[in-house]
Amino acid sequence: MDWTGWALFGLVATTTLTAVMITAQLAGLTRLDLPLALGTLVTADPDRARVAGFFIHLTVGQVFALGYAATFALLRGPTWWLGALLGLLHVAVALTVLLPLLPGVHPRMASPRAGPASTAVLEPPGLLALNYGIQTPAVAIIAHLVYGGVLGLLLQAR
Amino acid sequence: MYASRATDGSRVRRAALPRPIGDYGLLGDTRTAALVSSDGAVDWLCVPRFDGAPVFGRLVGGPTAGTFRVGPARSAAAVVARRYRGHTATLETTWALGERRLILSEAMVAEVAGRLLPSTLLVRRLSAEGGAVDAIVEFDPRLGERHRPPRVRRGRRALVCEWGSLAVSLGCAPELVVEPGRPAAITVTPDQPVTLVLAVGHREPLVEVDPATAWGLVAEDEARWEAWTAGIDRSLPYRDAAVRSLLTLRLLTYSPSGAPVAAPTTSLPEDPGGVRNWDYRYVWPRDASIGVAAFLGVGKVAEARGFLAWLLHASRLERPRLPVLLTLDGRHAARERQLQGWVGYAGSVPVRVGNGAADQHQLDGYGWVIDAAWVLVQAGHRLYSETWRALRGFADLVARRWPEPDAGIWELRDDAAQHVHSKLMGWLALDRALRIADTHRLPARQRRRWQAARDAIAAEVRTRGFDPAKKSYTRSYGSSDLDAALLILPLLGFEDVDSPRVRDTIDAIRNELSAGGPLLYRYPSGRDGLPGAEGAFLPCSFWLVQALARTGRHAEAVELFQALLDQANPLGLYAEEMDPSTGAHLGNFPQTLTHAALIQAALALRDPQRPADRQATAAQGRRQKAENRRAPSDDHPA
Repeated sequence: MDWTGWALFGLVATTTLTAVMITAQLAGLTRLDLPLALGTLVTADPDRARVAGFFIHLTVGQVFALGYAATFALLRGPTWWLGALLGLLHVAVALTVLLPLLPGVHPRMASPRAGPASTAVLEPPGLLALNYGIQTPAVAIIAHLVYGGVLGLLLQAR
Repeated sequence: MYASRATDGSRVRRAALPRPIGDYGLLGDTRTAALVSSDGAVDWLCVPRFDGAPVFGRLVGGPTAGTFRVGPARSAAAVVARRYRGHTATLETTWALGERRLILSEAMVAEVAGRLLPSTLLVRRLSAEGGAVDAIVEFDPRLGERHRPPRVRRGRRALVCEWGSLAVSLGCAPELVVEPGRPAAITVTPDQPVTLVLAVGHREPLVEVDPATAWGLVAEDEARWEAWTAGIDRSLPYRDAAVRSLLTLRLLTYSPSGAPVAAPTTSLPEDPGGVRNWDYRYVWPRDASIGVAAFLGVGKVAEARGFLAWLLHASRLERPRLPVLLTLDGRHAARERQLQGWVGYAGSVPVRVGNGAADQHQLDGYGWVIDAAWVLVQAGHRLYSETWRALRGFADLVARRWPEPDAGIWELRDDAAQHVHSKLMGWLALDRALRIADTHRLPARQRRRWQAARDAIAAEVRTRGFDPAKKSYTRSYGSSDLDAALLILPLLGFEDVDSPRVRDTIDAIRNELSAGGPLLYRYPSGRDGLPGAEGAFLPCSFWLVQALARTGRHAEAVELFQALLDQANPLGLYAEEMDPSTGAHLGNFPQTLTHAALIQAALALRDPQRPADRQATAAQGRRQKAENRRAPSDDHPA
């Protein structure tokens, strides 16, 4: 297990993933804004939320990178394609399990069952996060392929 | 347990003549809505949300599209009372059969979050007074475009109808044997009401709700609606009508995203028997913007902020372009198409889904949205920097594209034109953006660009958009046609409210576009390239009330407003249009824009000097700038 590689390259891979997502957002491909979604767990101000959310996302990304590094250690060592495959698994879990669960724990995210008393203002992601735009699954898949690929490539290069 | 007696007569009778559009009442849970006629038939219900597939679509799909009728067995029974209970969403219909009464009380349960309840729950209770009354239950759910009949099974306590991932259950207490498509007769006695509970499960297991529990949930909802309406400004004139409109507006707001749907129906005709049939199960930024002012004006700040938050969130994918309309989730509307085999309301075909206006360029939308933000700023709310960035993007687009022709507020599908109303709203967008910039950061170069564009629009509209012969602003440059959308003129601050141009424009519209009584056409007949003719456009009449009130003609405004209130259906609901000769409601029903315009008219009667107030408040707002800077930001994440 390459602990130093995990510590450094996990941050690099998560930052790259975030950059891909923000680029897609600015290009009008998706409204999925992970820093905002995570940051509004702690504050309602979107500008502050994005800062907080970025660091939360880095932390979460580091935890996922630990899983990647452990898997690389168990299998044939890190490669970009194995990282990308793990990224595919990762995004499948994120889109079908993690994001749909978010309205259940997020204080500012409405649920599809929200009624008139709901004060939550963030729209729920819906199936495969499609509520944030029809291209959202494609963007998320590309971002996570990049995440896994970068992690595998950098760990392999060490 | 009731033994049901099959009967087939009612279906044949009901197929003959459609109920008037204004005969329907609205049941809603802020996720979807049902329309129920005065004979107790739910003839429209889409699940699981406003824009879902209809399970009861008889209203525009004909007899094979499904219905759910609960009412008297004898057609001789007369409706003697129909009302919403107090300021709630519970509808009560009373039929008289001699000395006996049959009462249907019904509602959809709005507050289901945090509890093990289905997301759609319709509760209908029949009770009798003065003796036993024979009633009928006709339950015939059909799904979607092809009116698919369900796979039916009898559950432990309810009838279950399934179509793959969608299931609908019907429970009853006392127990009643119901077969889909086969009317069942029952006898309701005064000591034992009959409660029917319809639950919907979509991509989740059905949750069975005991009828007694369901009735308790309706009572809880009633208490919530009463509490919500109690918070509406007590000084609002014609408060009952305004409260019903606010409740309707809230019922038509999709709670999971905060989006106000334009109407819960598709293809109710503007011209019965004609082709003017459109899908309104979408969200127009214009409606949401008007809703911001309407809710804020009556003291419902959370709802007002929710609308602006939705606007900014939903428009994100296409910024800085503001889409003309969006889905409830803020997606681009589906391509418009015609449903094959749908007979339409009163033979009005085609029945359409999707909306072709989605790709149009309409300049006025930017004005509505930035003005809505300005209304919030005026009320002392500071915008988040992200919100302000989005608004600046809209204003930049207006400054760049205002000289282009557009489709205009009426979304005409022929060639774009230089619409005067659009230019005025472009002016409004830049003017309000500049006012917001008094308390929010704006680079000097951007400010100069907006000021230059605003002044250029004003100069051009004053020369090219005004017809000296008619003494009126016109529908488009070079045209002598009028446009009732120009009734917003006194609200903008573009001209002094006492100016002859404003007064003469109002009078000219009132004279030339009058449809008789309090009604107005939105533009001269035959100018939209569509066959047939449409009715009077109800929001325009409420805009006229507003215009009269704002220009100091209060008595005329009050008289007109009262006459318009008389045009509502017996439940206080309005469609988009009205047949001037018969008073029949036309078009999709009930309509958010009409109800929002009613509220704005009531607010104008309460605060007739509002444009001047706005200036004063703006000055006050500037004084409060320092305080605002210290206060936390007060709108929602975009």
